[in-house]
Amino acid sequence: MIDAIENSAYAVWVRESPSIFAYTTILSLHAIGLAIIVGIHTLIALRLLGFVPGIPLQPLRKLFPWMYLGFTINLFSGTSLLMANLSNDLGNWLFLCKLGFIALAMINLELTRIYVFDKPAAAGATAATTALPKHSGTFAIAALVLWSLAMVAGRFTAYPNFVEAWLGF
Amino acid sequence: MQALSDFLLTLPIGDFVATHDWVWPFCETLHFVGMCTLLGTVGVVDLRILGVGKGIPIHLLEKFVPLGVIAFIVNATTGFIFIAGNPVGGPMEYLSNLSLQIKMIIVLIAGINLVIFYVTGIEKKVAGVPPDGNAPGSAKAVAAVSIFAWIMVIIMGRFIMYNDTLLYALGL
Repeated sequence: MIDAIENSAYAVWVRESPSIFAYTTILSLHAIGLAIIVGIHTLIALRLLGFVPGIPLQPLRKLFPWMYLGFTINLFSGTSLLMANLSNDLGNWLFLCKLGFIALAMINLELTRIYVFDKPAAAGATAATTALPKHSGTFAIAALVLWSLAMVAGRFTAYPNFVEAWLGF
Repeated sequence: MQALSDFLLTLPIGDFVATHDWVWPFCETLHFVGMCTLLGTVGVVDLRILGVGKGIPIHLLEKFVPLGVIAFIVNATTGFIFIAGNPVGGPMEYLSNLSLQIKMIIVLIAGINLVIFYVTGIEKKVAGVPPDGNAPGSAKAVAAVSIFAWIMVIIMGRFIMYNDTLLYALGL
């Protein structure tokens, strides 16, 4: 199964084509999607932590579709890169940690959308104000911590031997 | 270029990188964090100027720009460490890399673009736009150049390690 995916025409093209649109462009898209979703979520998190309190919350809700765009770009590019290197990636515990952190970060993103932006009354505040709903700070800290962990694990996916030596494995 | 490479080799950065295996991946991670922060601050101001997220007062969003500048300084510093401390091919491997050269030119364009925004009075016009209002065309032009430039910086940054595919596409 893993071999079949790794040897599929698409996976081979991603991995081996000298075309500028293969591995290099897909890898670039992955960085762009990362910058979009994590960048915007960081800005929203800082606002929820009390920075620039004059910015009203509700208009920030309009940035969520852009974060979903970033996520979609990375779901596509990430799946492509994974198919091209499936057996190595699945055997890399740092990569699996990265996926776990991303899943948690996305759950936190959805909880933030629901409880801070879409149903702020449910969290004990009124809409369309600059007042922060309950637990805003917790969602914000979770966003900063989870995205940071996802990026650290993602980058160190390329250096599992370093991490294992540091941890004494 | 050779003179610059020779100078960079006189700095102790290469030795430090070569003898501390955590420095390179640590700086890479910081470089990604800086990238996200820059796009999440400057990029969101650009988006708002282009009309996304009406209701967000642009002059308040601009208060995040200094954070973007800090992110840029982080990335300039870590980027400098990559070039000066490259443990395998030395500084010349990067300095002669077409993708990196293009990236640096676009960073320069983005910088000039930012100076134009603040020096020519466009920023003052933008700051007076009401929360639901439209930014003037001159500001939209600057914002479009900014977003395009930073996206291209990310792309050319990723191309550095795969410079061959760029050369292949250009027939070089």
